[in-house]
Amino acid sequence: MTAAALSHTVTLSCQDDVATARRLARSIALELGFDAFAATAVTTATSELARNVVVHGGGGFMGVEMVRDAGRVGLALTFHDEGPGIENLERALQGGYSTRRSLGLGLSGSRRLVDSFDIDTAPGAGTRIRIVKWKRR
Amino acid sequence: MASYTERFGFDDTKLRERLRYFDIHETDLSLLITHAELGRELTPGIVEAFYNHLLACPETAEYLSAPGMVERLQRKQSHYFHSMFSGDLDLAYVEERLRVGAVHERIGVPPRWYIGAYSRYLVVAHAAFHGRLEQAEAVATTAALEKVMHFDAALAMDAYIAAHLETATRQRAAIRELSTPVIRVHDRVLLLPLIGTVDSNRAQEVMQQALIKVSEEQARVLLLDIAGVAVVDTQVADHLLKMTSAVRLLGAQTVLTGISPMVARTMVELGVDVGTMHTRNALSDGLELALDLVGMKIGPIA
Amino acid sequence: MIPILRVAGHILVSVQTELGDDVVETFQDAVLMAIHNDRGRTDGVVIDITALEVVDTYVARVLADTAAMAKLMGRQTVVVGMRPDVAFTLVQMGFTLPEVHTALNIDDGIAWLDALHTPGTTRAQRVGPLDAPRSEPDTNR
Repeated sequence: MTAAALSHTVTLSCQDDVATARRLARSIALELGFDAFAATAVTTATSELARNVVVHGGGGFMGVEMVRDAGRVGLALTFHDEGPGIENLERALQGGYSTRRSLGLGLSGSRRLVDSFDIDTAPGAGTRIRIVKWKRR
Repeated sequence: MASYTERFGFDDTKLRERLRYFDIHETDLSLLITHAELGRELTPGIVEAFYNHLLACPETAEYLSAPGMVERLQRKQSHYFHSMFSGDLDLAYVEERLRVGAVHERIGVPPRWYIGAYSRYLVVAHAAFHGRLEQAEAVATTAALEKVMHFDAALAMDAYIAAHLETATRQRAAIRELSTPVIRVHDRVLLLPLIGTVDSNRAQEVMQQALIKVSEEQARVLLLDIAGVAVVDTQVADHLLKMTSAVRLLGAQTVLTGISPMVARTMVELGVDVGTMHTRNALSDGLELALDLVGMKIGPIA
Repeated sequence: MIPILRVAGHILVSVQTELGDDVVETFQDAVLMAIHNDRGRTDGVVIDITALEVVDTYVARVLADTAAMAKLMGRQTVVVGMRPDVAFTLVQMGFTLPEVHTALNIDDGIAWLDALHTPGTTRAQRVGPLDAPRSEPDTNR
């Protein structure tokens, strides 16, 4: 399985794209040999973050690629949008109760499902999130 | 069971690449074929001396203790050394070398012992070639033999390492399973005795295995006994609460037993909120409750 | 089209596809309309999510909201068939859905709903969840 074969970009502009993103994340995770729990974790985080791009970010795209580090194999997903950015990042990352269309829970929840979670955002400057999940040895 | 060459994806292309990398050319192979007779002459003496050497060392002697083992191995070794002079470095040759590595891993013989054999052989062959052949020919033939020996050793190492990794992975999987023994004590009642330390990795393992079993068995109650858990602090209590919540999401209930006086005190003092979790001190009490929850009870006969 | 069946006096909804924004309102409306049209004859609602491979925070909220809406209309809801990896993921994210009743499968879900309305049931038959508020049998029927 070459790294090139596993690099993909998915446009995220409508609800169907979120489903596409989910399916892609899951199939690549399974191809890489992730177990069911890890695959579901990745897929769920993807669902959250892709949905945010569509619903709150005004659309954008998702990148998927295989990553390697000192003998271990992992899956890296990035989520980009040129939307309004996240105003109170600290609070958003902490989670807590939210209304149906609010951002909060998705971010803090997703963070707990993956091994690394990097977010770059500012009001008016869009949002870029990169998550990595490593395969259990 | 696929052949070793198949499992390693070793085909003619890979073979040619490997030969090129080890600098083995037709000229080398021809030289070895030419002096095959000499090689055969040397073999018995080397093999015997080699095994005497192994038997003299306590560390290696134990590998050779089984009756008939030494004779068998000597025969194999002779055949093996002869084949290096055959000039036939094809996939069958490769298969044999890979098999040797895998077998050594299986019987627990580390690579240094059989690589030592090559070394010994080379020393003797070198002396013999220089004694019987002209200088240039001797040098070239020794060089050719050395290349083939390295080629062989590399293959045996590949197989040994691969087999070793597989063993390690299998062992890890076995340990994971053993550490989460889920027992069906009654129809739709599962028992999971947790023993030892519960760090977050283990907690995750245990939770996943328990959830799978609850779902597979459609168990209504999971009886989780923590009497054997070394330390119950806020972290562990948190893991237990998470497990209970997850089990509930599946539609089943958890009964936590083995709450010792120490653990009860710790949990209350730490302010752990067990909420509506069923808890008991003795496993037997927990079992009775579990059975009650599925509409059964233990009672005297008549 | 959301398939809604009537089983043993209850409404059964089997969620086959992932619940996205576009399907959600249709889903909830279908369930609530089914309750409305069935007045008097339906005891509860069973939502079967066996086919759902992913339940993110949005879907979790949808399920909880649907149960809350059904409750306002006087009906109990029970969610059945959650997959082990889905349950694990929800709990990892910090979602335990305490306000949603759960059961292992459709049979257990129906049994639980039935037990709510049968006086004198033994505790054993109340296979209800632990961290959800204990529900009293509906008296406003």
